[in-house]
This record gives sequence, structure tokens and C-alpha cells, in this order.
Amino acid sequence: MEVDHQTLVWFSKSFGLFYLIGLSLAVVAYAFWPSNKSSFDQAAGSILREEDKPWR
Amino acid sequence: MIGQLTKNERQNALAILIAMAVGGLVMTIGGRNSLLGVHGGLVLMIAVVGIFAMTATLKLPDPAEDRLNAYYDDPTKVGIIISMVWAVAGLFVGDWIAWLLVFPDLTFDAAWASFGRLRPVHTSGVIFGFGGNALIATSFYVVQRTCRARLPDQVTPWFVLFGYNLFCVIAATGYLMGVTQSKEYAEPEWYADLWLVVVWVVYFLLYLRTLSRRKEPHIYVANWYYMAFILVVAVLHIVNNLAVPVSFGSEKAYSAFSGVQDAMTQWWYGHNAVAFFLTAGFLGMLYYYLPVRAGRPIYSYRMSIISFWGITFFYMWAGSHHLHYTALPQWVQTLGMTFSVMLLVPSWASAGNALMTLNGAWDKVRDDATLRFMFVAAVFYGLSTFEGSFMAIRAVNSLSHYTDWTVGHVHAGALGWVAMITFGAIYASVPWLWKQDRMYSAKLVEVHFWLAVAGTLIYVFAMWNSGIIQGLMWRTYNDSGTLAYSFIESLVAMRPYYIARAIGGLLFLLGALVGCYNIWMTIRMAPRESAKADRPEPGAAGAPVLQPGE
Amino acid sequence: MFGLHYRLERKAIGLVLAIIGVSSIGGLVEIAPLFTIHQTVEDAPNMRVYTPLEVAGRNIYIREGCYACHSQMIRTLRDEVERYGPYSLAVESKYDHPMLWGSKRTGPDIARLGGKYSDAWHVAHLINPRDVVKESIMPGYPWLARTSLASEDLGLHLKALRRVGVPYTDEMIEHASNDAYGQSAPDSSAAEGVTKRYGEATNVRAFDGNAGRLTEMDALVAYLQILGRLTDAATKPVASAEK
Repeated sequence: MEVDHQTLVWFSKSFGLFYLIGLSLAVVAYAFWPSNKSSFDQAAGSILREEDKPWR
Repeated sequence: MIGQLTKNERQNALAILIAMAVGGLVMTIGGRNSLLGVHGGLVLMIAVVGIFAMTATLKLPDPAEDRLNAYYDDPTKVGIIISMVWAVAGLFVGDWIAWLLVFPDLTFDAAWASFGRLRPVHTSGVIFGFGGNALIATSFYVVQRTCRARLPDQVTPWFVLFGYNLFCVIAATGYLMGVTQSKEYAEPEWYADLWLVVVWVVYFLLYLRTLSRRKEPHIYVANWYYMAFILVVAVLHIVNNLAVPVSFGSEKAYSAFSGVQDAMTQWWYGHNAVAFFLTAGFLGMLYYYLPVRAGRPIYSYRMSIISFWGITFFYMWAGSHHLHYTALPQWVQTLGMTFSVMLLVPSWASAGNALMTLNGAWDKVRDDATLRFMFVAAVFYGLSTFEGSFMAIRAVNSLSHYTDWTVGHVHAGALGWVAMITFGAIYASVPWLWKQDRMYSAKLVEVHFWLAVAGTLIYVFAMWNSGIIQGLMWRTYNDSGTLAYSFIESLVAMRPYYIARAIGGLLFLLGALVGCYNIWMTIRMAPRESAKADRPEPGAAGAPVLQPGE
Repeated sequence: MFGLHYRLERKAIGLVLAIIGVSSIGGLVEIAPLFTIHQTVEDAPNMRVYTPLEVAGRNIYIREGCYACHSQMIRTLRDEVERYGPYSLAVESKYDHPMLWGSKRTGPDIARLGGKYSDAWHVAHLINPRDVVKESIMPGYPWLARTSLASEDLGLHLKALRRVGVPYTDEMIEHASNDAYGQSAPDSSAAEGVTKRYGEATNVRAFDGNAGRLTEMDALVAYLQILGRLTDAATKPVASAEK
């Protein structure tokens, strides 16, 4: 099966834009999803807590 | 240190060493007529030494059970020391070849001493030797702390660390003997590449196993960056190094790709090695050490996530900006340029995030050279990503490409960002790891800092000047419409800048030597009183231990 | 305990898959079409393959790291075309495994070096560059002239190259070592086979000035003298630069 060069190039030239928009929306949605806020805040502070050993 | 291993683990280590010895023997015999055999002998020798060391300790009793109540930091300690050794070696060779461009006859009529063979020793030495070991060592440190989980066993981390260094040694000695496949930043030949795949898969599984031992569902963002570093480097490494060996007894192999496909593949690799080795991995370092050292959480955790996906996504498209105006189809060049410019957004988001974290802790930045290393790293990260996007624009690239400007850009990133963040992370972790309150001498950290900054600035300014002058001389026409300068005239004009560059590099090397001395003296200092409490970082003694989620 | 563990694992694996997915697409999209490019790019039917001696020379070029300072890619810019010659075409490096386009010009571009200087100039220049170009900062490679070329396994090299796509014939592979010797010994019986297999235009000379002994200098000079001359595709339609 030989894929036509024109088709591949057309796909390459157009695909990135839509993919970029889709991915940005998904990532921003994930980052700003209200229910994720607490776990992000927790994580940001977690490395500063004075703990010196594994949890188990 | 071997006493920390259980009997079972010692036996496993011995089995691995024996397998390695057999592998070395096969390479020695199979490659007896080629340089492959020399490397086989090297592997065999190292394995035999290891076997003797391991056998001598087989009778030792099992270590105490309470080792499981502390993080496993021995591999991190050794990794940091190895990393500093590579730093000195790699920087020394780099500065040596910088002087070779000024005094080209310093090659002693020896093949191994010429610029072409030493240059990959420098690049691999600093990128893979210094940078790679620092990444492995700190990743072990960070993943344990952020997951609050001990590494799952005590053999795998050593396998990763020593296996990786075996790769580095084979690479560096190979270049000196002329073993190279000429792919920039991926010079090692097929057998070294195969070995690195094994090491890397084990590294990946180790990381995943440690992550799965954590308690909280959320994975701290530094680990995302370390994971991206491990995963994507594996993909890049495997694809770019596809090759057919001349025979299984020969060190030489021919790349599976040729011409324009090979060019695109190589720069897809080359640029993403910058992205995922020299950026993602070290951002992981930044997102742990900078907040901890500054005592403040990261300014925007959300921003760190958004820029993570931005970097993971954008970088992969950018490689073709290394091939502007070449025989690569123009639409690929344009795609590469567009994405390179857009890459500025997540890059500056990361740099800004780091700097905003320090906002409000400027007094600490002023007083603490370790934190200042990290601050300067973030600044240089911002500057060199801007410069990178700028140079990816076709019109700019037509001037900058093939000149010293590119070399200056790379070193702004490598010295200003990668090395600075690494030194910051190392100065932060050495006292924590060796149970000290502080480094042996804060003054010497300060000295190192200023040597590093001065060296970087001299280097970068010299290369900017020479690069732009070179680029302009090559394209200058005189009144009669012919080229104004011969190539050799442009070369002669470079000489003062090459001298300045070599001096800048020398300052940076001196800084690293000061750092080594300081680290060594810190290790030799008597451990502080509270050593038995096993606290990884200085804090109020006896502070209550919080267990989140309990 | 198992439930918690399972949930955590799934999250980590999800992250792994997402990273691989997001990161690999850009490269795939850009590289994949290059493998069908032969449908559109003009072919160079008269292009010949590297002779065994030139392959050996190319390997020495790689071994010594020459690519670190010399590019082999003339861009489509007016000053480059005037300085170095017609700009490089994709087809010209189609047998280059790996490509040696380079990324830095500490020395000049050498994509069209072949035939520009005499063999004697190259030999003198490689032994000590400053003997011929006073200001040069290139290292000398005097040992090349002293070292015999390892040519016994060149057949295996050609075979490996055929496996990655270079059209070497069985005959070429069989006579590889002999052809390497013949190309630098014009008066020997081995010389005839070289032109028979690789074309009348092949350079058959004592490249290092000594036909009796096959040295690494022979191989490297033979390679340098063929740079840009495997095909005349670039010179035929008068190449006009883009500005």
C-alpha cells in the first residue's frame, strides 16, 4: 500500500492546528477544573512539609 | 555501602555482574579483530573487579530491618560525586579544544588528540556524564521525597547508575579511538546504544515502581518532568539510532536512514534531546529544589502543568528549524519555525513561574548563593529559550546558522541554565544527604557562583560577537557585486573571540573545581549531632512529623 | 490495599501513555511524509554509488569528526551559491548513511569540494594545513599517510549498506577489497574492474602519490575528490538561488 505523498503532506500541514487547539483546551480545562484545585494546592505544599521518611 | 544490601540482593548483583562478564567475554572474542574487542575487554575487566568486590561481601549479615524507615540515598550520593567528576572532565576537554582553535598544533601528532575526536568527548562528557548523572541522582532523591516512598529495591538503582556510566565510559573511550557514528549528540555505536536501551528500560520501570508506592493519588509535577525525560529520551534514542552493523564482530554500523530523512530524524532527535534531556529533566529538578530551598511553594501549580504539556507537545515539531534553506521540503521548515516560535509560551511560563516563586524571598536570593544559582538558571532559561525561538525564524537563521552564534546559544543554555540549576541542586542536597547543617564553606559557594556567572557571560558574549561577525562577513558584497571576504579572512577575524571564549570556559572550569573541593570537604566534615535522626534537610529539631492523609 | 494500589498504578500508566502520545505526534507528522518524497522529487538516474575506497574514506571522515567543522549542505542563499557552488539537492545525499550535512562551519562548506584542488594539494593540506593555508586552524592528520587502509572487510560494509538501501550489486560486494586497491593503483590489473563496475568517470589514481601502498590518505582523498560529483543533477538545470 503506497500512501500518496500529496495526501500525507496535506494532512501534516492541516492537522497540527486542530490538534494544538484541542490539546490546549483539554489541558487548560484539566488545570482549572474546580475539583482539581485542592489536590494541586496540596501537592504544591507537600514538598515543603518536614517529613524525613517513607510513609510505611 | 554494600553492607546495606540484603544477602538476596547481593546474590542478584553478583548474578548481574557474572552476566556482564560473559557479555564482555563474548564481545572480546567476537570483536577480536576490531575496536569492539577493546570495549569487550573493558567490560570484562570492570565486571571481574565487581565480582571480586561482591564475592568478598557475600558472607556479611543482612542489614537491620530499620533501613526501610529511611530513604535509600546511597545511589544519589554516589551519583552526585560521579556527576562532579564528569563535570570536571567534560569541562576540561571543552576548554582544551577551545584552545585548540587558537593553537591548532597542540595535537602531539596523535589521532586521539585532534579536535574532531575530542569534541564529542566534551559534548557527551558534559551532557550525558555531568547532566545525565545529575538527573539520575536527583531523580532518585526527588521521587522518594515527593512520593514519600522508598525505592522499591536496592539493586536496580545501582544497575541504572553504574550501567549508565558504563555507557558513558564506552562512549568517551570510543570517540578517542575513532568509534563514532557521527550523529551529533548520539555518537556512540550500535552496541553502546543497545546497552543504553536496557539501562533505560530498567530506569523507567524503577521510576514507575517507586511512583506506585506513593500514598496520595496526585503525582507531584516534578515527577512528570522526570518521567517525560525518561520516556521521550527512550523513544528518540531508539528511532535515531536504528542501524545495521557491518557484522556482529565489528564496531561499525550504517544508519538505517539516509540523506534528507536522516537529516530530519537526526535533528528531530537533536532538538528533542535538548528538550527532554536538557530541559524537561532539569525543570523537574527546578520544580523540586527551588521551592524547597526558597521555603515557598511553587507560584502557580496550574501553570506548571500547562507548561508541561506545552513543552511536551511543541518541542517535537521544532527540530526542522535546524535545516532552514536546506534540501528539506519547505513546508517542514515552516512547520518547525512556527512551532519553535510558539514554544516561547510554555518556556516563559516555566521561567516566569520560577521567578515569581522567588518573589518575596529576594533577601534569600541575595544571601544564599545556592538559591542564587537556581535564580540565575531560571533567568538564563528564559533568555536562551527566547533566543532559540528567535533563531528559529528563517531570516534570522540564514545569518546565524553554521556560525558561532549557535555555539553561543547552546552554551547560554548549557552553562547558564543546565549547569547552574544542577550546581544549585547539588549544593542544596549535599548537606541534606550527608547529614550536615550546611556546606563546608558558604564563601566557596559564593566564589563558584561568581566564577560560573563570569565564565558564562564571557563565553556567550564572545560567541555572539564572533557568530554575527562571521555571518555578516560571509554575506557581505563589495561595490562590484562580488563577495567581499574570503572564508579565511572571516576565520582570522574570529581569533580574538576564540581566545575570549577559551578564557570564559576556563573560569567556568575553575568554578567547578572549587565546587568539587567544597563538596569533598563537606563530606569529610564530622556529621552533626542529630545525624541519627536521619533528617534529610535542616529544620527545627523535634518538629512533629506530619503524615498527610492519616 | 490492592484497590488503592491499582488506582495509583492506573494514574501513573495514564501519565506515561499521555506523554508518549502527545510527544510523538509532532515527529511522526513531520517525518512520515519524507518517506514518500521520492514520488515528487526528481530522480537522478545517472547517480552512481560510492566506490569501496570512497566508502572507506567517508568512514575516515566520520571517524576523525570532520563533520564537526565542515558542512556538506549549500543552502539556497545567493552568497552561499556564489561562494560554494550550486545549492545542494535532496537527491545528492540519498546514498549517505548517515548524512553529513553538518551544523557548523568552523571551516568552509565542502559539499562541492570534488575536483576543486589537486590530489597533491589535499595530501599536503591534510598532513599540515598550515603548509598550504597559512592562517588555517585545522588540525594536521599526518598519520593518515602512514597508516595502511584496512580493506579486507569492505565487502561486508557494502553488504550492510545494501541492506539499508544502497544498490550495490553482488559483483561489487564480491570485488570490494580488490576494487579499493585498484582505484588507487591505476597501472595494476585491479584498476580495470573499478571503471567497469562504477563507470568510466570514476577517479582511478594514486591519490597519495604512491601507487604501491593503499593508505588511509588514499581513501580520504578519494572521498574528498568525489564530493558533489556523484551526479550532475545540481549543475544541469542552471540552479538559480532564492535571493
